[in-house]
Amino acid sequence: MISSYTFGIYPRSEELIEATRKNTENLNSLFQKETEEYISAQKNANLGFVSDPLLKWDDIFRPFSNLETATPTALNRIYEMNTFYRVLSFDGQTFTDDGNLVQSNLDLSLLPKNRAAAIPEPFTFAERHTSKGFKTKEDFTISLAKMLRVEIDSLVESGFELIQLLGPSIAYNNEVDFGLVSDALKIITDGLKAKTILHTHFGDVSKKIESLLDLPVSGLGFDITTTPASSIEKHSFSDKLLTVGIINSFNTAIEKSEECIKQVDEINAETKPKESYVSTNFDLEYVPKEFAMNKISVLGEIARGAKDV
Amino acid sequence: MSKLFPTQEIGSLKKPADMLKKVKNPNVSDEEKIEVRNNAALLNIKTLEDIGLDIIYDGEVRRVEMYEEPVRYVDGFEFAGRVRSWDNKYYNKARVVGPVSFRQNFHAEEFNFIKENSKREIKVPVTGAYTLADWSYDEHYKSKDELVLALARNVVRPLVKDLVRLGAKIIQIDEPAATTHPAEMDIFRESINESVKGIDAKFVVHACFSGNDYKALAPQMPEIKAEQYTLEFANRDTWNEGVDDNARKGFHVLKLFKEHGFEGEIGIGVSDVHVNEIESPELIRDRILYAAKALGDPTKIYVNPDCGLRTRTREVSFDKIRSIVKGAELAREEIK
Repeated sequence: MISSYTFGIYPRSEELIEATRKNTENLNSLFQKETEEYISAQKNANLGFVSDPLLKWDDIFRPFSNLETATPTALNRIYEMNTFYRVLSFDGQTFTDDGNLVQSNLDLSLLPKNRAAAIPEPFTFAERHTSKGFKTKEDFTISLAKMLRVEIDSLVESGFELIQLLGPSIAYNNEVDFGLVSDALKIITDGLKAKTILHTHFGDVSKKIESLLDLPVSGLGFDITTTPASSIEKHSFSDKLLTVGIINSFNTAIEKSEECIKQVDEINAETKPKESYVSTNFDLEYVPKEFAMNKISVLGEIARGAKDV
Repeated sequence: MSKLFPTQEIGSLKKPADMLKKVKNPNVSDEEKIEVRNNAALLNIKTLEDIGLDIIYDGEVRRVEMYEEPVRYVDGFEFAGRVRSWDNKYYNKARVVGPVSFRQNFHAEEFNFIKENSKREIKVPVTGAYTLADWSYDEHYKSKDELVLALARNVVRPLVKDLVRLGAKIIQIDEPAATTHPAEMDIFRESINESVKGIDAKFVVHACFSGNDYKALAPQMPEIKAEQYTLEFANRDTWNEGVDDNARKGFHVLKLFKEHGFEGEIGIGVSDVHVNEIESPELIRDRILYAAKALGDPTKIYVNPDCGLRTRTREVSFDKIRSIVKGAELAREEIK
């Protein structure tokens, strides 16, 4: 048996979608009910870490629109997906943050002790949004890292044991300044008393794995629908945790657990990671709720069936 | 068309509220619903004609939306549920669970009605194979290429063929997903070429802007069997009047099309469909004049909004179209 988790935003049910549109009286109770359902599903699947399904989040950056200097602006496509996020425009030169932006948007009372939280990593954050106040992209990225560290410290104080750092721009962009990525991640992870896993999705990182292995994070997560397992298998993960994003959040076809277990065992045998995890390849919100629920259950089966490293 | 700078719309308009109320009411009879839909179509046709558009349709008033409508009538699909577009806007996404095939001409009724009730040229919007595939879950085919080509050959081609049999002369293949995956442009090119194979009509391809400024599309354009592309330009252009490069930032890419050897027509988007502000006729005139110069042949320029106008109110949409028609008149006077 190995460990497991999901990350990011989960899908709303049809009933909840309608309620958000009509702003019905039972909207809050519906959010609460579905959050409980998703947390129960993760517990029932015996996932190693349990996450808030972020049902109130319109996109992964939206809580940061509450920063004093942030203004939500135009819609922008999430990489090559048919889903869009709001670009935030920052007009200050610093961020005033009390570390409660993410936490206040999570339902802590429902989460068990083995809790995980997802947050965008600074390079991706800076690359996807705009700043009028910072002179360079580097300054913007480093300042975002400092702000995110305050957020993460609060999460760790509240018992979060695993912080998932979402880095799709590192995967998607052809040109990545790994020096800047590393400097920003160092601000986030230095002395942190929690595991940090950098997830790379929405692009093939086959040619970037050496650079990724040098980054100051506890582990790396891969979307194996875009980065082939054969590319990951060429590297040793003896100093890193390895997460195989084996569940495809972009297709309704439900994975066959036996086939997935075999594939995870093969990857682990080749890479010999310090610790092994399985997860979704990205947010489950890209499939409707019924399919998301089934995929959580299969993820648990895969984790239970895979050989311990 | 002999006239310089012919004006046209792209497809969708916001549906009239009273029509929606009636068609969603289970107590309203089917006959009454047909009448309500016909009246709404007639209202759009006549309004667009009165404004002076040269090429029209009915605002896609009978269609649910551009993806769900065709999928309802194609074998091999099953709806999975709604998936987020943005915020609390969702679309109903389907799974491909078997071989896809054409069941019936699902645009026949609307086309026949428009043909009967319009005095202008008609351009029929049809959702393209690549977008249908890209916006669906595929649980049946081995690869995306296979699904796209199956949709092109077995769904879009028979649909278009039947529309042409009914009298359609201009078909617009709507492909909002076309440029969202730059690495898949070969599949896109083949999907259009397979969709139109052996059919005698004028083909227009509509592709939305997706961040790479059509740079991935440009090299493919001469190889795709389409006479015209209707594309978005206004949404990233400035609102300053003028025909210089600084004022017309949104239109620079036209030069790239020419460099790649494209010799066909461009339906230039001169009105941003994401904002309520109405572009002045003078601004539209300048956009047209710049585009004509950039492409090197004014007879190849058609004029339209960036995309379908269904996210704007009807009042804003018709005001934008009025301004487009006036702007085209000003541009014609200027070029005489």
